[in-house]
Amino acid sequence: MSSEVTVVTGYDALEREELRPLGPWAVAWRRLRRDRVALVSGAVFLAILFAVTAGGPIVSALVGHGPNDPFPYAVGSTLRPVGPWTHVWDTFQAPATGLNEIGLPPPPKGTGKTLFVLGADGPLGRDELLRLLYGGRVSLLVAIGATLLALAIGTILGAAAGYLGGAVDAVVSRFTDLVMAFPYLLFIVMIGSTVDGISGWTLHGALNEGVLQLMVLIGAFTWFYPARIVRTRMQQLRGAEFVDAAAMTGARDARIVRTHLLPHVVPPLLVYATLAVATNVMLEVGVTFLGAGVHLPTSSWGSLLAQTWGTLLNPNPYNPATTQPWLTILPSLAIFLTVFSLNQLGEGMREALDPRGGR
Amino acid sequence: MAAYVLRRLGVAVCLLFVLSVITFLMYSQIPANPAGFVIDLQHASRAQIAEVDHELGVDRPIWVQYEKFVVRALHGDLGLSWNGIQFSYLGTASGVPVGPLVWHAAKVTASVVVGGFVLLLAIALPLGAFVATRPRGAADRLSLGLSLAAISTHPLVVGLLLQLFAGNRWHLAPPSGYCPLVPPSAAAKAEAARQGSELCGGPLAWASHLVLPWITFALFFVALYLRMTRARMMEVLDEPYVRTARAKGGSELRVVVRHALRNAISPIVTMVGMDAGMAVGIAVYVETVFALPGLGRTTIQALQGFSGYDLPVIVGVVLVTAVAIILLNLLVDLALYAIDPTIARRGRKALASAARAA
Repeated sequence: MSSEVTVVTGYDALEREELRPLGPWAVAWRRLRRDRVALVSGAVFLAILFAVTAGGPIVSALVGHGPNDPFPYAVGSTLRPVGPWTHVWDTFQAPATGLNEIGLPPPPKGTGKTLFVLGADGPLGRDELLRLLYGGRVSLLVAIGATLLALAIGTILGAAAGYLGGAVDAVVSRFTDLVMAFPYLLFIVMIGSTVDGISGWTLHGALNEGVLQLMVLIGAFTWFYPARIVRTRMQQLRGAEFVDAAAMTGARDARIVRTHLLPHVVPPLLVYATLAVATNVMLEVGVTFLGAGVHLPTSSWGSLLAQTWGTLLNPNPYNPATTQPWLTILPSLAIFLTVFSLNQLGEGMREALDPRGGR
Repeated sequence: MAAYVLRRLGVAVCLLFVLSVITFLMYSQIPANPAGFVIDLQHASRAQIAEVDHELGVDRPIWVQYEKFVVRALHGDLGLSWNGIQFSYLGTASGVPVGPLVWHAAKVTASVVVGGFVLLLAIALPLGAFVATRPRGAADRLSLGLSLAAISTHPLVVGLLLQLFAGNRWHLAPPSGYCPLVPPSAAAKAEAARQGSELCGGPLAWASHLVLPWITFALFFVALYLRMTRARMMEVLDEPYVRTARAKGGSELRVVVRHALRNAISPIVTMVGMDAGMAVGIAVYVETVFALPGLGRTTIQALQGFSGYDLPVIVGVVLVTAVAIILLNLLVDLALYAIDPTIARRGRKALASAARAA
């Protein structure tokens, strides 16, 4: 047996996990992993994201009907939709004999049944679960698209103002003040309900009608916030030594901004984006509820709420005889879970990315 | 101080000008047939439509229309609503003037927003100051959790639930409608009674109709303000002058309210000004749910009328809202100056960024 002496060199120590210095992202990830609230929120949001993207088609294939298919047998005699977990006759056509006091006469022989997991959505008898899932896709698509647009506009204008300074800064800052003073919900409703020009744009069927318009409108009125974040950071960093060093090696302005300054604004923008998606989900719901957003028959969380409660000019007093409480609870819960999880995730990320925080 | 206010006023006037130009330009680009408000387009000849367009003034170039609008607006006249406008054979127009129309709606919205902010501050300031003295305690966690739940629930949903349960089921407050603050005159009451309706009014009726809207409004913002108050208070309570006040033997209440809260309050006042635009948006939701005849409803009626959008009303709403937001911000600046006179030198920007960073 030979005695072995293990010599730990500095190089070996660096190879070992615990002694390797952590980058800022690794530090942030480590902190986030310890934040239980943020982790659960992140998991909930990912689950929602999965449900609204892949869940819709999966459920649709399982139950065998789509989100816009009307089932006359899913509606009771007082036009009250059926409740959760009901099997209804699988036919789109009511028999020609029409209504009697008890309801519809039985369908022709040989008609199968189909399952409504969360019941039907209203007098038209569409599947609530499917409308919820497909509606969530629309709502989140609007929210995420609008956030990305706001980030793009805000980063470009903010970087220009903060880095160049002078006249550019003055113009952009005044413009930012102007947009901030806009009562933007009023504006979005005003434009959304009068301009039909781009509501038909669907990018060759990739998006539903009205989605792109809402994205552009929300993005166009909310970019001032990221613009302010980027501008402030750029102003702080413009005179830093590493910027001077980069300039001295011959880097041009565009390169300095892109490779040396922009990485510094990514953490605050990431936090902003998480919180902004939550705000934009709320905004989509509100604008659609006010009748200026996504058009029917496309469902969104806003239109699901509006369907039960009516819109501003056609208020629809709540009547337990013709509607189900589920139709209010379910979309409200979906909105709540999405916004709550995003808010908590955003807060967790803010703390994890804070350079002043401990490990 | 005078220079500071003057500078802010100058910026405000520029903002108003740009805002009105943008609104005007935007709507000049949207195709519409304003003549439809006056005549039946399906049975009118082209000449008739052209005549009505001429009477309405929409056939002139956009800058001429804008100039006329500005001159009239400077005289306090916002023109006539297109909805229900009529022309005599001499060409003089009669109809509903936009100014009073928007003014009445603005009073309703202002009732919601101002009352909502008062309720909000009445909740957030004492609660925030209280939990700051006992951080991480049960009250702290509970209030933070509840307010986070409130901000994550859509104001529409909060409003609908309050209306359904507190209003319709439990009859705690009127579920919808609006009563003016000033009670109607006896003559107006008699006139309404003759037509078989009843007019309500007076401070009590006004407040009772607005209780649910105020709660809805305040619940949305309470998380932000509570957190802000808590963070600022915790900072301030660590300051040496608070220790001094305690050492002098001031009661805990006096130390917290007079010495700490007074110094913690300025970023919160700044936040009120910055949230004004969003507050108008939330007020639109609140008006929708509780059927209040405010600016939101006026706008949507002007947009979704039978004959198309009613441009004079829309421009009126935009201008009145913008003026209100600008005035509120001016007021906030003055209040900040009253709280802390050094603000004019340090500038408001620093305070605002401190408010958002916290």
